This record gives sequence, structure tokens and C-alpha cells, in this order.
Amino acid sequence: MNVVLLSIHVLAAIVFIGPVTVAASMFAPRARAALDAGGPDPVLETLHRITRVYAVAGIAVPVFGIATGSAMGVLGETWLVVSMILTAVAAVILAGAVLPGQTAVLAAVGTDAETRSTAMPLARRLSMVTGIFALTWAVVVVLMIARPGSTTGA
Amino acid sequence: MTVRTALRLVVVLESLTIAVLLVNLATAHVDWVAGIVGPVHGTAYLAVIALVLATPGSSRRARWLAAIPVAGGWLSLRELDRL
Repeated sequence: MNVVLLSIHVLAAIVFIGPVTVAASMFAPRARAALDAGGPDPVLETLHRITRVYAVAGIAVPVFGIATGSAMGVLGETWLVVSMILTAVAAVILAGAVLPGQTAVLAAVGTDAETRSTAMPLARRLSMVTGIFALTWAVVVVLMIARPGSTTGA
Repeated sequence: MTVRTALRLVVVLESLTIAVLLVNLATAHVDWVAGIVGPVHGTAYLAVIALVLATPGSSRRARWLAAIPVAGGWLSLRELDRL
């Protein structure tokens, strides 16, 4: 059962969190370009949709992660506790800053020049929070691989 | 697919998985069924909450209803359809 749980956990992380990271990181520069250009941008809407849809699907990753850790009896270990806290931080950044930021920027795209220019700092901030989100979960991945007792010898 | 369609699907999944878990608990009590279906049910439960929160114009009542285990998804859907 451990093998199945861990496989689903890793597969879900690759398939769901990967697209969120890519779409969110592509969203920010494209948003700045769209705010500069002025017209509506359907690609930007698609990138937002990918971020949103896969963020919800990504809920499976921590749930199956906790199930795996519980089945393997390692839930109390420090590396895992740190990972869970960082995952929670990443989730809060995604749900509290990245997604609302994208919604706010999208609302300004295609409107008058003044609204667009006020949304510009928001788009720049979006680049930053998206980067922090990606970094946070990259650290979690490293913790998962370099855990004590890992076959990598770390 | 709209948020509402996704919500309907996940609500059905939440109910199906809890049914499987309860039947398994009452009958064969196979360990791996509980181990695999349990997290699927947990994911569905959280996804219902996330999707109701993501629904534009969802009421405070619908949001709180979504957090109720097992029946919350259906109650929340009914509330959202009424709005």
C-alpha cells in the first residue's frame, strides 16, 4: 500500500503542481506585457485558468503525502514536519496572493490606461510572490529527496 | 468545465468514496481499500470547500455548509443553486 500511496503522491505533485508553477510563472511577465499593450489577452485568461484548476487538483498532493507518511510511520520526523509547514506556507501564498493577484490583474487588462497603470505594481508583485511560491515548494521537494535514511546517502 | 460542474463531480466523488469506506468498514475491512480510498475521500472533501470558495458570488452560508463532512457538498450545492 505504501508504494501505491507514494506513487500517487509523487505523480500528483508532478502532474498538478508542475502546471501551477509553469502557468503562474508565465502569467506574470505576460500580464505586464498585456497591461502595456492595452488589449484583452485570452492567453492570460488560460494561464489563470490552468493555475486555478490545477491548484484545486493539487490538494491531492498533501493529502496523499500525509497518508503515505502515516502509513510509513514517519509523520513525526523533523524533516517531514518542516516539509508540512513549508507546504502550508506555499498553499497560503498560492491561495492568498498568487490567485487573487492574478484575478485582480486580469480585471484590469483591457480597460482604460489609468486602471492599467495602477495594476502594474500588482503585476510586478505577482512575479515576486510566484517566485517565492515556486522556491518554497522546491525546498519541500529537496527535503523529500534528501531526508534522513534516503538511498541517496544524504 | 465550469466551477459548478466540477463541484457536482467532486461532490459525487466524495459521496461515493465515503460509501466505499463505510461498506468496507462494515464488511470485509480490507486494509488497502481504506488506505487508498481514504485519501481520495479527504481530497474530495477539501476540493469541495475550495470549489465553493472559488464560486463567484457564493454566500457565507454556502461556504460554511461546504465544510460539513459527508453531506456538506450536497447542502452547499443546493444553497448555490438557490442563489
